Amino acid sequence: MPKSFEFKQCVTLLKSTGKKAGNLRELKDALAQVSDGAIAHHTYQYFLKGHILEYTNDFAHWAGESIEERALAERLSNIDPYAYASIQDLRRDLIGAIDDHLTAFPEPRDAMPGDEFHFNETVMLVFPAGVRARNLAEFLMAMKYAEASTLYYHFYDARVRLGNKTDDFSQWLEDGMEKPEVAARVRSIDPFMHTLETIRERIVDAVEEEVKRDMESAGVPQ
Amino acid sequence: MIDEYKNIAPKGDLMLLGKLGETLRSRSFLHVNSTREGGGVAEILHRMIPILRELGIDARWEVIEGDARFFDITKKIHNALQGNEEIMTEQMWAYHGEVNERNAKKLNLEADAVLIHDPQPAALIHYRKGGIWMWRCHIDASGPHMAVWNALKRHCEKYDAAVFSVAKFARALPVEEFIIPPSIDPVSEKNRELTAGEIDEAANRFGISRDRPVLLQVSRFDRFKDPIGVIKAYRMAKKYNDCVLVLAGSPASDDPEGEAVLNEVREYASDDRDIIILLLPAFSDRDINALQRMATVVLQKSLKEGFGLTVSEAMWKEKPVLGGAVGGIPLQVVHGVNGFLVHSTEGAAFRIRQLLTNPAMAKRMGERGKEYVRTNFLITRQVRDYLSMWYAMEHRGKRVLDL
Repeated sequence: MPKSFEFKQCVTLLKSTGKKAGNLRELKDALAQVSDGAIAHHTYQYFLKGHILEYTNDFAHWAGESIEERALAERLSNIDPYAYASIQDLRRDLIGAIDDHLTAFPEPRDAMPGDEFHFNETVMLVFPAGVRARNLAEFLMAMKYAEASTLYYHFYDARVRLGNKTDDFSQWLEDGMEKPEVAARVRSIDPFMHTLETIRERIVDAVEEEVKRDMESAGVPQ
Repeated sequence: MIDEYKNIAPKGDLMLLGKLGETLRSRSFLHVNSTREGGGVAEILHRMIPILRELGIDARWEVIEGDARFFDITKKIHNALQGNEEIMTEQMWAYHGEVNERNAKKLNLEADAVLIHDPQPAALIHYRKGGIWMWRCHIDASGPHMAVWNALKRHCEKYDAAVFSVAKFARALPVEEFIIPPSIDPVSEKNRELTAGEIDEAANRFGISRDRPVLLQVSRFDRFKDPIGVIKAYRMAKKYNDCVLVLAGSPASDDPEGEAVLNEVREYASDDRDIIILLLPAFSDRDINALQRMATVVLQKSLKEGFGLTVSEAMWKEKPVLGGAVGGIPLQVVHGVNGFLVHSTEGAAFRIRQLLTNPAMAKRMGERGKEYVRTNFLITRQVRDYLSMWYAMEHRGKRVLDL
């Protein structure tokens, strides 16, 4: 009997660290001091915001929009937090990118008053969404109607929980459902280039095709 | 009562409320503020307390009493936190403490969790009898008059946690600090669905012609809300887009300049019959609701702002919003997604033209705005956050909590 998939939801409660930065040097200094939770919030949890625009994390967003250091914003946006084994390594490379930029452009502008970078962190509450899928068809239905925070929890947050290797969906599709091809399609979705809604569409498309194939091979008329 | 929010609030929020209600069932949650009527805090507590009770929580709301001298002092503290230069003498602080002490003797302050709203009752912390005590600051304290803040801080840092509406409103304190934005109530008179007849009736009564697009700003007649800038932007936009402008609000009763600003606005509007200036009495919630629903574009072109919940109110009615990039407005308006953030009168005029020329874009932004408010700024989310904070404070140090 294959293992069922329990959909969960999460809610984050924002906490202020009380630290803020008005320019790049202050940002760099604070980056060296803030908690791992603050770094994680401003990078991994960027996707929980739902409206992905030009950037892939809050540091890049601030560099691009508030102090208009576009080159640095591009470089910070290209840092893939899921490529790091630890927050310490991620922290080191974020600081390194700012250091390099300051060497090349030693007089960056200050943010306007009120537009400083505020370091926050979160407490995450996780709870069952009340839906459990025992097969691919049930999984497909649940995916269509799952709340955005469910997608975030299983697609993004899972990468941190599972050591940056995979997400909950593709792991279940591979191990629980023995569908390595569908799992590979889900795993190949670029987490930085989508909103939670377009991620839902991609996963639904991949699973829907597989359900149809299964029905065809079982001779079920459609 | 919770049933009223089914099919309105996100399902996940209601589920989590249910879970937190089970976990915290029969435990006591006390709110204390300084007024039973008037103001956003009282308005939201009137709705929140019954919701908490329905969740099984023993919720209570106490109001401190004070005389005119006390409230003069607390008004000064409020203004000083917002950055005004105010002189607060030691005697004033002593009186603030005395009134708090008198209230502490009268009120039942025993509860598992206590949320004290704003500076007026902040000194009650010295009379705590147990439980988790949290101080909720509804004011933008990002640039306070420092002497006053330092004196108030003596109370704030005795709490277990402090809560601010926006990260940039917060002050560094040696306690846990949570960021919980305020919210609107979707079933209240100000935000509930209105019939076409109700909207038409209001339009007729106010003499608003709806054969052309309606631009609207709802705000006090206060220079920080930039009503003159709104008229200028309307005039620039009107060159290519015939429209009417409605400025609705009340003179700021606690602002001696209110009358002067209103006269300036009237003079500046001159004899333009397409500018409608409405002075609304207090509790005009249904009229504000109708005005927001008949608007094509809603402006909140503030130069300085608190959280600016009128933005969420308009977004809930599927209106694209042009907001000044100040206070809590950038937290609500996602630029280019559900509205536009503007930094100048010219910017506002340009965005009005864009929205009036492209109704499909305006509609799309309005729809996204409503969804954004549904996810982030409904009262159910605020109740959820208060209970989550209480739960998190009982599990201090944990970053992930399984329920």
